[in-house]
Amino acid sequence: MSASVLSWRGSRNRWLPEIIVAALLMVLPFGFDAAFTSVDLLSRILLWGLFGIGFDLLFGYSGLLSFGQAAFYGTGGFVTAYLLTSHILGNVWLAMLVGTVAATLFALFVGYLALRRVGLYFAMITLAFSQLAYFVENSPLANWTGGENGLPGVPYPVIHLGSLDFSFSSGWRTYELIAVTFFLGYVLARFIVRSPVGAVLVGIRQNPGRTAALGHSVPGYKLAVFVLAGAYAGLAGALLGIFQSYMPPDAFALDTSAQLVLQSVIGGAGTLLGPTFGAAVWLFLRAELQQIPGIGSLWMFILGAIFVVLVTLLRKGLYGSLVSLWRQRVATTPSRPRPHPRATGLHPAAAPPTPRSVGAAVPVALEARGVSKSYGGIRAVSQVSLAVPPGEIYAVIGPNGAGKSTFLRLLSGEEIPNMGHILLRGEDITGRGVTAVNQAGIAKSYQINQLFGDLTGRENLRIAALGRARGALRFDVFRAVDSIDAVEESIAALIDELGLAESADLPVATLPYGEKRRIELGMALATLPSVLLLDEPLAGLSPGERQEVIRLIRRLADGRTIVLVEHDMDAVFALAARIMVMHEGRPLAEGTPAEIRRNAEVRRAYLGSMTAHVDS
Amino acid sequence: MPSTATILSQAFSGFAFGSLLALMSSGLTIIFGTLGFINFAHGAMFMLGAYAAFVVLVQTHSFILALLAGASALLVVAVVLERGLLRFFYARPPEDQLLVTFGLSVMLIEGVRFFFGSDSQRVSPPAWGDGIVNFFGIFYYPLYRVEVIGIAAAFLLALYLLLYHTSLGLMVRAGIEDRLMVGLLGIDVHRMFLVVFAVGAMAAGIAGVIFAPLSAVIPDMGTPFLVQAFVVVVIGGLGSFGGAIVGGLVVGELLSLTTAFNPAYSQASIYAVMTLILVMRPRGLFGVAGRI
Amino acid sequence: MNRKMTGAASLALTRRGILKTGLGLGAVGLLTPLVTPRVWAKDYPEMGSFPAGVQGKSVFAAGVFPLTGPYAAMGHDEQRGFELAIDHLNNGSQFTQGIPSLKKGGGVLGKKVESGVADSETKPNPAVQAATRFIHENKAIVFTGAVSSSVAVALEEVGQRHKVICMCSTTASNTTTGVSCQRFGFRLMPDNYMLAKAMAPVLAKQLGRNLKAAYLVPDYIFGTSLFSSLKAAFAPYGWTVATEQLPPLGTTDFSSYLLNIANSGADVMFNETAGADSVTSTKQAIHFGITTKMKYVIPLFSGFAGKELGTELLAGKYGTEPWWWGMEEKYPQAKIFNADFHKKYGYMPRFPAANTYDSMMMWADAVERAGTFYPPEVIKALESGHKVDTSRGEVYFRAGDHQGVSPVPVLQGNSKAEMKGSEDYFKIVGIVEGEQLMVPLDQSGCHMPSVEAA
Repeated sequence: MSASVLSWRGSRNRWLPEIIVAALLMVLPFGFDAAFTSVDLLSRILLWGLFGIGFDLLFGYSGLLSFGQAAFYGTGGFVTAYLLTSHILGNVWLAMLVGTVAATLFALFVGYLALRRVGLYFAMITLAFSQLAYFVENSPLANWTGGENGLPGVPYPVIHLGSLDFSFSSGWRTYELIAVTFFLGYVLARFIVRSPVGAVLVGIRQNPGRTAALGHSVPGYKLAVFVLAGAYAGLAGALLGIFQSYMPPDAFALDTSAQLVLQSVIGGAGTLLGPTFGAAVWLFLRAELQQIPGIGSLWMFILGAIFVVLVTLLRKGLYGSLVSLWRQRVATTPSRPRPHPRATGLHPAAAPPTPRSVGAAVPVALEARGVSKSYGGIRAVSQVSLAVPPGEIYAVIGPNGAGKSTFLRLLSGEEIPNMGHILLRGEDITGRGVTAVNQAGIAKSYQINQLFGDLTGRENLRIAALGRARGALRFDVFRAVDSIDAVEESIAALIDELGLAESADLPVATLPYGEKRRIELGMALATLPSVLLLDEPLAGLSPGERQEVIRLIRRLADGRTIVLVEHDMDAVFALAARIMVMHEGRPLAEGTPAEIRRNAEVRRAYLGSMTAHVDS
Repeated sequence: MPSTATILSQAFSGFAFGSLLALMSSGLTIIFGTLGFINFAHGAMFMLGAYAAFVVLVQTHSFILALLAGASALLVVAVVLERGLLRFFYARPPEDQLLVTFGLSVMLIEGVRFFFGSDSQRVSPPAWGDGIVNFFGIFYYPLYRVEVIGIAAAFLLALYLLLYHTSLGLMVRAGIEDRLMVGLLGIDVHRMFLVVFAVGAMAAGIAGVIFAPLSAVIPDMGTPFLVQAFVVVVIGGLGSFGGAIVGGLVVGELLSLTTAFNPAYSQASIYAVMTLILVMRPRGLFGVAGRI
Repeated sequence: MNRKMTGAASLALTRRGILKTGLGLGAVGLLTPLVTPRVWAKDYPEMGSFPAGVQGKSVFAAGVFPLTGPYAAMGHDEQRGFELAIDHLNNGSQFTQGIPSLKKGGGVLGKKVESGVADSETKPNPAVQAATRFIHENKAIVFTGAVSSSVAVALEEVGQRHKVICMCSTTASNTTTGVSCQRFGFRLMPDNYMLAKAMAPVLAKQLGRNLKAAYLVPDYIFGTSLFSSLKAAFAPYGWTVATEQLPPLGTTDFSSYLLNIANSGADVMFNETAGADSVTSTKQAIHFGITTKMKYVIPLFSGFAGKELGTELLAGKYGTEPWWWGMEEKYPQAKIFNADFHKKYGYMPRFPAANTYDSMMMWADAVERAGTFYPPEVIKALESGHKVDTSRGEVYFRAGDHQGVSPVPVLQGNSKAEMKGSEDYFKIVGIVEGEQLMVPLDQSGCHMPSVEAA
């Protein structure tokens, strides 16, 4: 599903969805008017659709399931309706703006609290807030909100053009207003989805940890998309009150949030238009099923059953499945994508553009001083120090449980040491977190592949490269995700260097393990690190592949500093300039490969640990 | 400032309601802890228990049989649902599980509405529940409600014995800590899941039977309890049996005591507490850290 | 079951629908004389679904009732009253014989009445959606419905905006003909103010003066407005408020509030909760011994309170309903209505059915007297004060706020021994005529908008 999100390539196809949607918006009302003698049903579908576009960005693209969007829908609606019915504001457009802004601010507040947690807890906090809002609307603020009666009498907007008064009062006029707003909302969402921001959101859904490690501020993007979804919700709510001339209290109800989720799943999340489609199915079936004698009050049961069937069997939803089928057909006819810049031979990334690095001969690239990490009573890492000069390959080895991986996690910023400091080119980066550390120039390749499975190799690398190129948090929504030439060139170079030209445009999940491993490495490289941490890069590779990767690592050391954790002793002794041996969290020995080979304590530690296992 | 008698009686009331909530929430929490998903249909199961009791009581007037009926009905429903549908969802992302149980909840509620209608059914307390208890002359309390505490405690005790004094219970608790490991140790995880789901569902159903004499039995009766059970489980800690009990009592007391002072905010207060816990200590009072 | 318009009628509308594109309803006025040969005696301008909805051989009446949700039982009752009324209007009946303007039968103004029903789910938004759909798609010329007042207020607002008459029949809140009154909205059943005022003298006589009353008031507009009406109605008899307990929305366990009431030292308890909540809170009140300590009043019994609460819970309890089938002793039309309804549906009608049935009859009568479906004329006829003999006797609407001047039966629950039939849940302690119960217009809060107002 998401592979196709990013694969609209070529200027010919770029605007196709917008054109189709615009055409449908112009043609459908005539059909609805003929079939139902009014366009109101279509207007309602589009209102839910607008509400759903924001939700889809939040849930379908970023993977954040919120059960509380009604809070913002209701806020936008009631603030707008209140301002208008109590004549505080006369201008409907202005009231709509204020309502939307109010909803957005509320979303900022809720998002700030809710996004500190993930998954189910996040969903529960959003649900709690929307329930709170519902109770507040019904009772304490009843004088402003009309309590359980809602706010009737919301006026229609008017446009004054010179001597012409354009009032959006009839079914067709309001449809036009809603359709235009929906279209604009859709266009904006399309920009976002096709921009680097969209790629980051997809990354967040698939693997938030990796996305953060690639230099993207995951909390920042999450809050942004949450606030955006709140804005869409608020605008939809404001329009609802205007459309009906009445703002209903059930806008805040749990049912509303639930209906939004149901419709999105029925239509298909991650497609932007899925919720609109789902709304059409829902509203249409609800209206029609009620008319059938004998079914009457079973309509909700039937809809529930349809929903369960879809969730079970057709997870992509109705519209989502159609889209997926069509894209598969399009993909089998290989459209030649935009020609990618040819790689100009092997070259490691240019020296990272940070203040201290260019030209300056720094004695120590990466340094750890007395670093310790404990979990509860367990000392995973204890007083480890090292100093790696630029360009050196430094290996960390040791028996299982020695604390190597934990130590590497401390270096990459994924964990924060309890004691000690970590310095990059003399600058103290202790405790900054993995995103900032990556932006400073350290990248890690993981022992277990952390890839974005649904995306192609190129797209994986792109997400990695975009972090460094754009910074941790940037809202460049109006540029296409593949429009940064420097990024595209460096990705192309990587693909060449890693020998992935054949498979770069296939979904990563379909690739053989060896190629996945290379992409894993490539992702770390794409962030233009000056220090590369490799966590068992040879794990799971065949002997032939191992030799390739060993050669590759040697090449990579040119211009970069590498810290390597490995079990393959041949590789270690072949590559490393210096080696540190860890044992039970503590440094046991440090020196050149020859020194380590001769060290009796090291031998004892390795063999000793083996006999310990044999005994137990 | 309400009188001492009022506050005392409210506190006791909170204890009674809280014990019921604890029973229902314990089912929810062990299902989450073991199977890893939130059973959105828990409220509907509560409701099914109440309806089973209604049907049986109309025929037999025996509360014991009603309890049995509630438990068996939920046993059947749980087995059918788990074997028929839910077991295909263990490998799927948590949103899917939430969604499918939500859909099932809608189907159960509407199905019951179709068969029984929307008007409320009446279940009377058992004959040994009639009457008022006089607490030291300070306040009066309905006898059945006092008995509710006893009945709920009895079932919670049974659940405790099951979890802490049987080998099945040991496996369940181990599974709550580390599901992967338990599977790797060669334990038939799927059978365990089925048993846990059934036990959790029965806990909800029995809570429904107990509550039925206290209120109107309508198809929608489970929904407010579902939401309150969520709050309890979050406060107590997802997967923690002890947490569900403490959480249930906390929520029950919170609802009751805030009513003594300002009822308009009593519902809001439990959401506020839940949000506070989620933001500051997401594992809840007794939950296992890192278990999101 | 009635369906929306099918076949030729809807095709005709489709043609007109295409023509209407982008021009709004304005075009129809120009084109309809070309499309159909019918010419009206008087040339009325367009308004709402007039004349589009009355061009053919039939007109459309819509019903929006809660068919799911907590009030579904009353919603279905309403639906049956509605459909029975449509049936009688079309095919004649003994009841319509009792109304001079409707004697001739054969529909209204010679046109058959088609109908359609939708589920409001007890929520304002689906109700508004359904009503708007009926108006736009089926050109409904009148609609009815609601059980909850928030739905009624929303529906009459739809009526006002789209210029279609809403016989918003079942709604108890004062606001429906108070601050939210609409020119296109008519409410036949007595409101909270009237129910309270009817109860006060009867209960003061039965129970005594200068009593202390505890109130269980659901914390939303319906509850709080009923509370103020009761307080005001009983004050002249020296009754005071011992405590007002306000359970918020969603309360399932009323013990905290009931404890406060039990400890309040009151002589009487008013339980204002509605629907399932009233069953729950009454059961819990009995458990707490409140009913042995003090008198128990349910100011507004729900439509099926008898069945839901049962005789053991109900016996001896006082209260009112907007209409009770037992009124047939006094009103001959009620006897006829009850018999017809019972024959068709197998049970005695409750007030939602009677409200809708009577409202539809009054609407039909007004149309016949006006000689046209043109809304302002029908409204004038409804406001004229002309009395119609319905199942609640001869009633009319007060012009100032469109509140029906309906009598209120004050009831007391029968014990099992007193029941003369399986549905004889209440004895009528007194029927208070509507005239003396109306809130003074200047206190109602109603600023009746004009016909043209949006």
